[in-house]
Amino acid sequence: MPAADGTVADGAGRPEPNHGLRIFLLWLPVALVADLLIWFVWGPHLPPGAMSTSAATQQSAIKIMSVMAAPVMALVLVYGAYALVVWRHREGDDEDGPPIHGNTRVSVTWIGVTSVIVLSLAVFGTVELAGPAGAGAGEGNTPIWRPSGGTPLQVQVIGQQWRWTYRYPQFGGFETTSLMLPVGENVQFNITSLDVIHSFWAYQLGVKADANPDINNVAYTKPEHTGQVQVRCAELCGLWHADMTTVGQVVSLSAFNAWTATARTQLAALTKELPPYTLTYDPNAVAQLGKVFQKAGLSGAGGGFYGSQYPVQP
Amino acid sequence: MSETATPPPGTPDLPALTRESEEANFFHEAALNATWTGVRLAVGALSFAFGCFVFAYFYLRSLNSHGMWHPAGVKGPQPWAGAVIMALVVVSALVQYVGLTRIKASKKGAWQASAVLALVLGLAAIGLQVWELLNLHFFPGSSGFSSVFVGATPVFVIVVLAAMIWLETLIMRVRVIPAISFVEQPPTYAEAFAVQRFQASLSAFTVLWNYLAVVAIVFWVLFYLTA
Amino acid sequence: MAIDMQPESDRQPGREPGGREPDAPPPPARPWWRRPAVHTALAGAVIGYLLGHLLGNVIAGQYSQVVNSGQNDYAIVLGYVLGTLGWLAGLGVFSDLLRQMTGRPVHATEEARDASAGLARYFRYSLDHKVVGLQYLVGMIGFFLTGGLLAMAIRTELLSPSYHVFSSATYTAIVGEHGTMMMMMMSSLILGPLGNYLLPLMIGSKRMAFPRIEALSFWLTPAAYIVLLSGLMFGGFPFGWTGYAPLSVQATQGADAYAVAFGIMGISLILLGFNIIVTVICYRAPGMHWGRLPIFVWAMLTTSFLMVLAAPVLVGAMYMLITDRTVQTAFFTDDLGGSSYLWENLFWFFGHPEVYILALPGFGVVSEILPVFCRKPLFGYKVAAAGMVGVTLLSFFVWQHHLFDSGINPDMRPVFMLTTELISIPTGFIFLVAMGTFWKAKIRFTVPMLFALGFYFNFLIGGISGVYLSDVPADTTEHGTFFVMAHFHYTIMGGLIFAFMAGLYYWLPKMMGIRLNQTLGKIHFWTMFVFFNATFLPLFAVGMAGQPRRVYTYARSLETLNDWVSISSFLLGVSILIFVFNFVYSTVIARVHEEGNPWNSRGLEWQVSSPPPPGNFARVPVVLSGPYEYGVKDAPPVADLDPPLGVISNAYAAAAAEGAEV
Ligand code: HEM
Ligand SMILES: [Cu+2]
Ligand SMILES: [Cu+2]
Repeated sequence: MPAADGTVADGAGRPEPNHGLRIFLLWLPVALVADLLIWFVWGPHLPPGAMSTSAATQQSAIKIMSVMAAPVMALVLVYGAYALVVWRHREGDDEDGPPIHGNTRVSVTWIGVTSVIVLSLAVFGTVELAGPAGAGAGEGNTPIWRPSGGTPLQVQVIGQQWRWTYRYPQFGGFETTSLMLPVGENVQFNITSLDVIHSFWAYQLGVKADANPDINNVAYTKPEHTGQVQVRCAELCGLWHADMTTVGQVVSLSAFNAWTATARTQLAALTKELPPYTLTYDPNAVAQLGKVFQKAGLSGAGGGFYGSQYPVQP
Repeated sequence: MSETATPPPGTPDLPALTRESEEANFFHEAALNATWTGVRLAVGALSFAFGCFVFAYFYLRSLNSHGMWHPAGVKGPQPWAGAVIMALVVVSALVQYVGLTRIKASKKGAWQASAVLALVLGLAAIGLQVWELLNLHFFPGSSGFSSVFVGATPVFVIVVLAAMIWLETLIMRVRVIPAISFVEQPPTYAEAFAVQRFQASLSAFTVLWNYLAVVAIVFWVLFYLTA
Repeated sequence: MAIDMQPESDRQPGREPGGREPDAPPPPARPWWRRPAVHTALAGAVIGYLLGHLLGNVIAGQYSQVVNSGQNDYAIVLGYVLGTLGWLAGLGVFSDLLRQMTGRPVHATEEARDASAGLARYFRYSLDHKVVGLQYLVGMIGFFLTGGLLAMAIRTELLSPSYHVFSSATYTAIVGEHGTMMMMMMSSLILGPLGNYLLPLMIGSKRMAFPRIEALSFWLTPAAYIVLLSGLMFGGFPFGWTGYAPLSVQATQGADAYAVAFGIMGISLILLGFNIIVTVICYRAPGMHWGRLPIFVWAMLTTSFLMVLAAPVLVGAMYMLITDRTVQTAFFTDDLGGSSYLWENLFWFFGHPEVYILALPGFGVVSEILPVFCRKPLFGYKVAAAGMVGVTLLSFFVWQHHLFDSGINPDMRPVFMLTTELISIPTGFIFLVAMGTFWKAKIRFTVPMLFALGFYFNFLIGGISGVYLSDVPADTTEHGTFFVMAHFHYTIMGGLIFAFMAGLYYWLPKMMGIRLNQTLGKIHFWTMFVFFNATFLPLFAVGMAGQPRRVYTYARSLETLNDWVSISSFLLGVSILIFVFNFVYSTVIARVHEEGNPWNSRGLEWQVSSPPPPGNFARVPVVLSGPYEYGVKDAPPVADLDPPLGVISNAYAAAAAEGAEV
């Protein structure tokens, strides 16, 4: 934008200042300071943190996009502010402005620069998506980006109105209401629903994947620090959508093993009543898969709160 | 320009140009163009509407979730009904089209006859389709296919009905237009305009009705041939 | 369609075949209560609803029941549909069609034009585009205020995570009503009032192409509005404006209101856009070639294409939802061969173009206003128009960016990421155009200009936050949270609504011959600008910090921010009230007349008196130069408003010849 046209004297005979240069000099420090602040001060605290590989990817994506966005935004704002101050209408001046209809060089530069920014963002996004095995986003039932190494820890996430439960097929398929993960291991979430669409969102892990009825949606992550994980539902699923929250834990491998061993024996009786582990369930399994709530003294699960989605046969 | 509209006025045998008639001509010309443009746009919009169901058809078919797209045991609609409905619409469009070529040769009566026939055929197609929907051998929600079938056909029926109403108004309108006007410029602007507007409307209708015949064939292929 | 081929001018000499004698006395006027208007429409609606309800109970009363209600969906849907048809019939929408079908001459044109002057015509099925424009204006403001009131209710509930003003069911219903009301109604916020009123004036025409379709598109909006709100009587619908199946298939009768209302409004959008496209293509005055078309008209044209092509998919999807709920098809039930993904695909195939239906008219309005108050030509006119066309084309290829985490076509996500980021290039053109126009301008800070500047500020934030959402890794954190909510309110509330206000302050003198009070206008602008940003800027942070959308309760730690937002939003509501006060005060009480060209604009619409006379122009004008030639030394006037005899016929004869060659 700046280098638009020459420096012709205006009516008063005063030489026209070089507006382009002035705007550039105003913009440069603003953009620089903004970028430095974003990178060094704000960056490490940007959501969703760096508790897992996928969260770290998302954080860096947000950081890098902010670093690219700030100068663009600063340019428009500085330019705008400059224009409003310098090129405002003065009392008593009834002349029209200069009849500039356009400027091919400026337009081409603008289109070129925005295209480069945008295309590089698209490439960057694709790389970041493939790198850490899908960046924590739901990848459908046949994921194309998987973590390298052996079979990851399988955790099935079952959404139902309005609870989350988890099954651990590699440990006898018990079902529990608490999400427990070991640090430093690849995790494969198999996410499904028994009634309507929910969205499993483990905030600190940077995992978000819709829980669709009759569909298995896979998301990968690898926790790298121990700590608490907020689990929420990110897709409106009816009355108590806001209450589909739980807290998960990332613990050391030994603590995790100890937990699975206890849970497996403690829940053995219940596990027998559950339908065998599959990637999706018949909605009629709601009754059985909801038993874990009653065990835990909870209520509210069971689906079918509204009507049935199944056609009635007259 | 519309196929049947004769060149714009200003032709010598009309009364001399006044400011009023100049403007009337201007807006008349615009209205003819609007009919031409409008019907093509309507075909575009309708394509997206029907496309919605065609998309549903292929999407559900390719997903075939739980093997329930069109499971073996579930009955489909009666093949003969589908073929007859399609044939009625296609023949109606053809008949009307042939009539159109006749009216250009001042054979107004020929078009009238073919239009009435086309109307009857179109209404018969509607009737048969409604009858078929009221006497289904299967339950609407018994498969993905049956859902798309039960959903899409009424939409087609509604659009065909609208087209038939249009045809009916054309049949009513043509009664007061002398046959000679289709080959010779009538003496007054008002009459010339009326004839040209009728012609524009008629050719627009033809575009729509021929398009619907194509849709009928597509639906027949989807619902009866390859299901 | 057929009915629109009828005479548009009764000045033609001679007699229409089958028509009235030109000098015959008009048919005697019936008393007002026997002539179709809102009251007959209401009667028709009630009768239709009752009939439909009855019919539904006869068909399905024995077997289709909504849980816990003793009602069935057939009865409700048929009630709505027949009620809407009754509403239209009561207005006299079908009377011309019936006349045509029975071979009688059509005379509603005369009736609508001559016989109902005065205030009464605003309550009738008027075929005058200026009347329809004002009907739309009042309607849209009403719809916006209703939606805004619901927004206030949302923010009231969100004042506290633990003290609840509403039950969670009521809250969800309110969110759904707010979102749906805004999305479906505000789609015509600019094209309805400003478009219908100004388009013929801007392209030099005396009329729109299809006045009946135009009027119909308006009269469907109150029907959609009432149907949507009636959902509240059944407890609303629990699935927001997106209506994801299977929740929408399972939900109670409120879902019928949602589907029917959205479907009706979809039809209204198709008709609105259809009429505008044909008018722009066919009714431009001689000399108004594509390179001289005001940029606002380009915006209307591109928006209309989006409406005409995308809204049928919306109507189709709503129709499928209705059949799933009534005749028990299984479009969206996976177990029976349907798919909940089908809904998501169809909905967003419409839904994304929809967001550009909301954005593009705003681009047009601000780009139209900018040159007037910069006193400079629009910078890069062709770039601006090309940008709008580019956005229109691309917006059909980005819909799955709403479904990045859904598991639909995960391998396609890089493609949709790319197309989404590509669309930001033509969108960015509006900033290029604005910045270029500012260069060495003489910027006048009038109220319309202030709103236009506010638009650019807000849309900058809205647009840049959109780029974050297009990136799959970043979107994984942001999707389904208040970040998204803040993003689209920046583009819609901060974009569309600001642009609408700019347009209203700018064109109301044209439309009503009355100027809105400028001091109140400035107060309105500053409060709206400040409190809008105070409301929605923090919501980006709220979303990033983990608050999902559509929740009646949230993490305690976010209470301070939420309170700040709620209080700001109430003040934003006050600002809107200032606008309402200004509108009512200026148009009803003060009535400061403004006949001429107060902004000293070159727009063709400003070359006639305000409000324009019946028929807009005394003669079809011949356009001589572009609308933005400010500061150009010997620029010819915009148009010759009284061209000599023969010029017009030469122009259309040439055009016809050209058309024939193609
Ligand atoms: C008057 C100023 C407005 C305020 C204070 C406001 C406030 C809100 C709030 C707080 C929500 C979020 C509810 C939730 O997710 O829990 C919301 C949702 C929404 N708003 Fe607004 N809004 C305003 C204007 C608008 C306008 C002008 C539009 C569009 C034309 C709009 C469209 C929407 C939509 C589509 C949703 C999403 C509903 C859903 O999740 O289904 N809003 N609004
Ligand atoms: Cu939920
Ligand atoms: Cu989108």
